[in-house]
Amino acid sequence: MQLVIASGKGGVGKSTVTASLLYLLKDEYRFVAVDADADAPNLDLLLGVERWEEERELVGAKVARINTESCIRCGICQERCPYDCIKVIDGDYVVSELTCEGCNVCGLVCPVPGTISLDEVRSGVVRKTTTRYGFPLISAQLDVGRPNSGKLVTEEKEWAKKLMGELGLKHMVVDSAAGIGCQVIASIGGADLTILVAEPTPASLSDVQRAYKVVQHFRQPAYLIINKADFNPGFTALREWAEAEGIPILGEIPYDRAIPRSMSMLKPFVEAFPDSKAADAMREIAERVREEILK
Amino acid sequence: MQIAVSGGKGGTGKSTVAINLAIALRERYDLVLADLDVEAPNDHLLLGVELANEEPVELFMPRFDYGKCTRCRKCAEVCEEHAIITMRDGTPFLMPNLCSGCAACEIVCPVPGAILPGKKLMGHTYLTETPYGFPLVTGRLLEGEERAMPIVSRAKKRAQGLGKELLMVDTAAGTSNTVSKALEDSRLIIAVTEPTPLGIHDGELILRLAKLMEIPAVVVVNRSDLGDVAKVHEIAGEYGAEVIAEIPYSENIIRSYVKGRPIVLTDYPEAGLFREIASRVVEFLGGGE
Repeated sequence: MQLVIASGKGGVGKSTVTASLLYLLKDEYRFVAVDADADAPNLDLLLGVERWEEERELVGAKVARINTESCIRCGICQERCPYDCIKVIDGDYVVSELTCEGCNVCGLVCPVPGTISLDEVRSGVVRKTTTRYGFPLISAQLDVGRPNSGKLVTEEKEWAKKLMGELGLKHMVVDSAAGIGCQVIASIGGADLTILVAEPTPASLSDVQRAYKVVQHFRQPAYLIINKADFNPGFTALREWAEAEGIPILGEIPYDRAIPRSMSMLKPFVEAFPDSKAADAMREIAERVREEILK
Repeated sequence: MQIAVSGGKGGTGKSTVAINLAIALRERYDLVLADLDVEAPNDHLLLGVELANEEPVELFMPRFDYGKCTRCRKCAEVCEEHAIITMRDGTPFLMPNLCSGCAACEIVCPVPGAILPGKKLMGHTYLTETPYGFPLVTGRLLEGEERAMPIVSRAKKRAQGLGKELLMVDTAAGTSNTVSKALEDSRLIIAVTEPTPLGIHDGELILRLAKLMEIPAVVVVNRSDLGDVAKVHEIAGEYGAEVIAEIPYSENIIRSYVKGRPIVLTDYPEAGLFREIASRVVEFLGGGE
């Protein structure tokens, strides 16, 4: 089974909840964890990963380059670039590598053959390790300024599937990126279900509603975990929305200083502070995941 | 003139800093705030306004006139996104979700009129008046669409088009090229981070991006009592970025956030912290008079 953890809004505790959930399920279930937030991967930090066993460079990204020698400075490339990535610097037309999407429109419209080339560049790395808890983790790190394409997540998921075959693992748990863009779509696409994490604030509600639309697009079941549940008493709209949509609430985790403290210790909070209120709530959630999802 | 609020990790308080800073800077500059976190735009919620003046962001999408198409496959060959597939006889088909709207296929098509300019809706931009004396431009990607770049690009243009003295952009999390697009043309990046290992890790990435783009950066440490601030200072120092403020974890900030009343306008002591950030920014920009 492939399950995804998503949130829309960043910083609501998606990776924190994922790390603790993995910790609580690790003895009974055989799974591979995938950190699909290549822009800001965090699961390895929360699971105390110190080294990677294997690392592969990703060279999928392409960027256009203009040869200033043969360029006749007609400006057509700049005019036609759909994303305004071409600037004139000291009289030369230059492609900004940090914003180019690699579509090659500039190369196609350039009247001087060979002046604009589309070069493959490194977009980042995909890497694998075995965590100290025994299960493998696939993660990725995008180089700064590269397009964060869903292809990277697809690459990670393919590696994870291969590992499942090799190691006889039954489940894949994907910690998705924030937002609703291509990497989130690649995370949710092909999964069996999504667990949404949200906190009771208008911003988190708005963003989780958008993430839920992506889940609906793939016709998957969704579940909700409410994090920092007591942080905004009187804000009932999150719970009401879930109830109106028929999204089962797996549980509520209270705001607890044990969580930021556990982050500094680079441990899941259920491991670092097993007696905390948050850990109690998390164990109940894990129990419901066992009963209702993994069965 | 443009400045940007960014910060690597999600949820560190970028939007909170952006809206409070905009309110404080309003006293010195005629400004517009642009929310370029198009996958999860929230500045309007924090400012307590409803998005207004919606404009669609539509992308070119090829439509094939099969009566004219010669099945030469050039369109499919040139498509970097592999959004056009061809049947055995060369008949092209589009997979709309993969199409980036770049129009490369139309450019190479040898038969005029065989590829028609269809359109697909990717999202919207908004221009909303706020009760704080500045307008807010918001970009919002449509759910189910994958490409944030066109929305970021269009929202930024809409904000630039207002011709204000100061454009302040609030970016998405991370350091991908849509964040670079938002940061481009900035004179200063205000990187908001938190002193946890995760915040520090992601905060370093944004400082690296700032350096690559040759844009000066300063650091605001949010929830500064929940981790190792010394470490943030150390890394900021490595990138030549001054830490201009430390904002402790504060119930007052949460309370004001939840009530939709920006903290800088309250009597809470934290309001002073945001005013201080604003005056440091004004100082950096050269007075603002």
